[in-house]
Amino acid sequence: MLALPIGLTAALTLSACGGGGEDGDIELVVATFNEMGYEELLEEYEEANPGITVTHRKTGAAESHHQSLFTRINAGSGLADVEAVEEGYMAQAMEASGRFNDLAEIGPDDVSPDRWLDWKYEAGVTPDGKLIGYGTDIGPLAMCYRADLLEDAGLPSDPAEVGELFATWDSYFAAGDEFVAANQDSAWFDTGAQVFNAMHNQLETGYYDTDSNVVIESNTAIKDNWDQVVAAVEGGQSAGLEAFSPAWDTSFGDDAFATKTCPPWMLGQIEGLAGEDKVWRVAEGFPEGGGNWGGTWLTVPTQSDHPEEAAALAAWLTAPEQQTRAFVASGPFPSQVEALESDELLALTNEYFDVETGALYAEQAAAVGPAQFKGPRDGQIQTNVLTPALTSVEEGTASPDEAWDAVVSGAENLAG
Amino acid sequence: MTVGTSGSTDSEGRGADGDPAASPGGGGRQSLRDRLNRWDVRYSPYLYIAPFFVIFAIVGLFPLLYTSYVSLFDWSLVADDPVFIGLDNYVALMGDARFWQAMVNTISIFILSTAPQLAMALLFAVLLDAHLRARTLFRVGLLLPYVASLVALGIIFGNLFNSEYGLINGLLGLVGIDPINWHSDRFASHVAIASMVNWRWAGYNALIILAAMQAIPRDLYEAATVDGAGRWRRFVSVTLPMLRPTMIFVVITATVGGLQIFTEPKLFAVVPGSNNGGSTGQFQTVTLFMYQQGFENFDLGYASATAWVLFLVIVIFALINFWLTRRISSTEGPR
Amino acid sequence: MSVLSAPKPARRRRGQDPGSIIGKPGFLTYGLLIAFILGSAFPLYWSFLVASRDSSFTAEQLPPMWPGGNFFANAARVFDTAPFWLALGNSFLVGAIVTVSVVFFGTLAGYAFAKLQFRGNNALFAFVIATLLVPTQLGVIPMFMAMAELEMAGELVAVILPNLVTALGVFWMRQYLIAAVPTELLEAARVDGCSMIRTFWHVVLPAARPAAAILALFTFMTSWNDFLWPLVVLDPSNPTIQLALEQLQSGYSVDYSLVLAGTTLATLPILFIFIVLGKQIVSGIMQGAVKG
Repeated sequence: MLALPIGLTAALTLSACGGGGEDGDIELVVATFNEMGYEELLEEYEEANPGITVTHRKTGAAESHHQSLFTRINAGSGLADVEAVEEGYMAQAMEASGRFNDLAEIGPDDVSPDRWLDWKYEAGVTPDGKLIGYGTDIGPLAMCYRADLLEDAGLPSDPAEVGELFATWDSYFAAGDEFVAANQDSAWFDTGAQVFNAMHNQLETGYYDTDSNVVIESNTAIKDNWDQVVAAVEGGQSAGLEAFSPAWDTSFGDDAFATKTCPPWMLGQIEGLAGEDKVWRVAEGFPEGGGNWGGTWLTVPTQSDHPEEAAALAAWLTAPEQQTRAFVASGPFPSQVEALESDELLALTNEYFDVETGALYAEQAAAVGPAQFKGPRDGQIQTNVLTPALTSVEEGTASPDEAWDAVVSGAENLAG
Repeated sequence: MTVGTSGSTDSEGRGADGDPAASPGGGGRQSLRDRLNRWDVRYSPYLYIAPFFVIFAIVGLFPLLYTSYVSLFDWSLVADDPVFIGLDNYVALMGDARFWQAMVNTISIFILSTAPQLAMALLFAVLLDAHLRARTLFRVGLLLPYVASLVALGIIFGNLFNSEYGLINGLLGLVGIDPINWHSDRFASHVAIASMVNWRWAGYNALIILAAMQAIPRDLYEAATVDGAGRWRRFVSVTLPMLRPTMIFVVITATVGGLQIFTEPKLFAVVPGSNNGGSTGQFQTVTLFMYQQGFENFDLGYASATAWVLFLVIVIFALINFWLTRRISSTEGPR
Repeated sequence: MSVLSAPKPARRRRGQDPGSIIGKPGFLTYGLLIAFILGSAFPLYWSFLVASRDSSFTAEQLPPMWPGGNFFANAARVFDTAPFWLALGNSFLVGAIVTVSVVFFGTLAGYAFAKLQFRGNNALFAFVIATLLVPTQLGVIPMFMAMAELEMAGELVAVILPNLVTALGVFWMRQYLIAAVPTELLEAARVDGCSMIRTFWHVVLPAARPAAAILALFTFMTSWNDFLWPLVVLDPSNPTIQLALEQLQSGYSVDYSLVLAGTTLATLPILFIFIVLGKQIVSGIMQGAVKG
């Protein structure tokens, strides 16, 4: 009677064994998420490198991918040879830098830092100088805006003129006051947190100092940004829509707000959600220069049995030619200097936004300042402390002072 | 009763009908097989429960021990060298306002969901026990909430309870009630989440109670009818007491599920995938808090300590519930 | 499942059933039930609505309540994006093995706890209950270690093995059997010289069928919906259905018409089992049980 289920289990256990390459082939596993545009490239790499087979593990959402990644880091096995790590999780990877190979050491010699934009390369280096990731793509920020709404409110609506209007955060918020005064139905931006994050990432020092101490109270620049955003929120500039919520999705089809910080990967989304009759444009310029939101690195965990071969593959994938092709295939905006100068990229235009997207974002990428040091809980402070605190101000469930106290104590809790 | 193919059909019939009166009272055969029989009787039970304990020992015990071990360390999901800190995680947890807020949220949602859920389950079980047309259709219907995809549920309930254009506020507006901020108001968010729980689980519990109801031997009712008991009286003095073991099961599992509630508050968050439970944690539950500590903040030691404190709380609640259920149903024992 | 469609014993069909608190179901009964069914079915219908339109659908505040014409196009995209059929097969295999095992071992242990006298009965049962009280989410980390050690990580067996028995199954079967199997019947079997396992096989198992069917249904659905553990332990190229559906959520914004086309497609076989097969199998199973 017991024989049946136990027999089944035994059969399955046996079939579970095996795996591995045949005849001395090296099998490399590449784990990615979203659409990184690597499908064709990986096949090509296999063909060009006899003796190497590449398996592609592709997860859908970034959250799922990293959950699996960090569980396997903790468990000490099961990682791929090449693992993609997204910007928001890079600080964690840095904290576990012992589990990743130093690519400067094991990677091919012909890969040099000047392949990438400075700030992208720097963000892949740990405080003690170890390169744990080759940069793949970036998300340089521009400001998208509703030309029709700005025009109705008596503001300039041409991309170049709007660029001047958005030269600094002061001028941006001043324009917001003007807009809100003229247009009772629409807000100036979607949510304070999105604006705050863009401002915050422009700071030289963020939530942490370079010794990984939380400096949220002593770094007055943070409080200044906070005060500016809160003032704008209280002035009615925020639509109070949490980013990526269903209501936020819906709002693009309404006239809920007039401006939106937008990296290149968000353009397709805005187009899909807003529909034909809304006139969305991209301004030529961003307050205080540039900024970045999003982007990924390829790492080689120490668990890999073939670290050098894995590093060679990662180096090849992140070379300008390949990233340009990935960009053409799936759209991740490359971080490599040569790729940003390539004809394919510069030729890219967007009809809906009526803009030369490639050239505009390449320029924005060049305008990004030096990489801000990100402490171990940087991403969590942003998404789980700052963002909800600003939301609570927008909802009216907390006063600005209460919300700021929650920020300070919340960040200390996280870091403690 | 002789064991054999002919006897087995009989026993099957009676087994399901539970009709003890019909079983033949056979005389026992005492013989050499006595000793074998005694062994059989003495050791078979252990054999029957062994598979559970053996498999649990392999796959369940290690995670438990590991969690309790980790809870004594400052253990990041990614750090290379965990530091032993004794009970510090527990001490810190006791002083963590966010944890206590989550605990209060959990208990509030638990109370708002469990009682209506069980009442609804009992109601639907009674309704479905009637002679219905299209009975199967209704019974399958009970399970539909359970097969619906979580993505769909998240969006639908998010929409229903949207404070600006949600259907619920629209209906409230019709009867002259001001719109309620279902997501930002703490108590309102608990009500909304509890309604999600009730919606998802009442049908399932109704089915469980229904199964137990139908296993009650019909002659008990007939005897009660002969005694002159009306419908309601029969329900109270026969059905409910006979449901006692099942009600204990339903109450305990509802308690465990209610205090470990995770999916519904996570789905209810405005930002997809968020573990914050609202902007000020107004609907973050303990399990959500634990999950966030472990998989978002990567503080595995702290998350493990949370798991064990939650375990203790559930034990206390389960004991109280168990005791209450026993008491309530034993005052109405079958006569 | 059996209570879904079990034919009633003949004597209940005639006249009034003394057990039912509602004699003849009236307008109120049907009204309540129909309202409940409509409420229960709405998310499924709504999923189909979104799946039958394009991605702008969810961007509307009051979406139209009739289906559009894009369902097959969206379904085709599902098959292109994720290994849907492989995942469906995997989930059925895993679900079937887990269900058979949980029901069988649950009934066996539940019977022992409910009806047999043995030393440590109560203490061991309390232990079973206690395992139910521990939140499971953190267990994925040590479990992954264990599976990696057993060289099962990435294989379906890693999803099957930890779920072969459940405390819930043992608990449920115990509670049901306490009331459903009269002790006198077991004693009679014993007096007749029935061995323990034969008693179990011929007396207990048949009586347990309705409860076993419910447990089977629940176990299968739990296995079907499991996400966190398969995500951590399996390889996305050999996924269960929930992992395949996860792959539809790539990109910075979620394309709900694609995702819900996937969930709708994944729900169809389940509904099919519930409605058609469930009725067939169950009435077959129940034939023995309702003879008395």
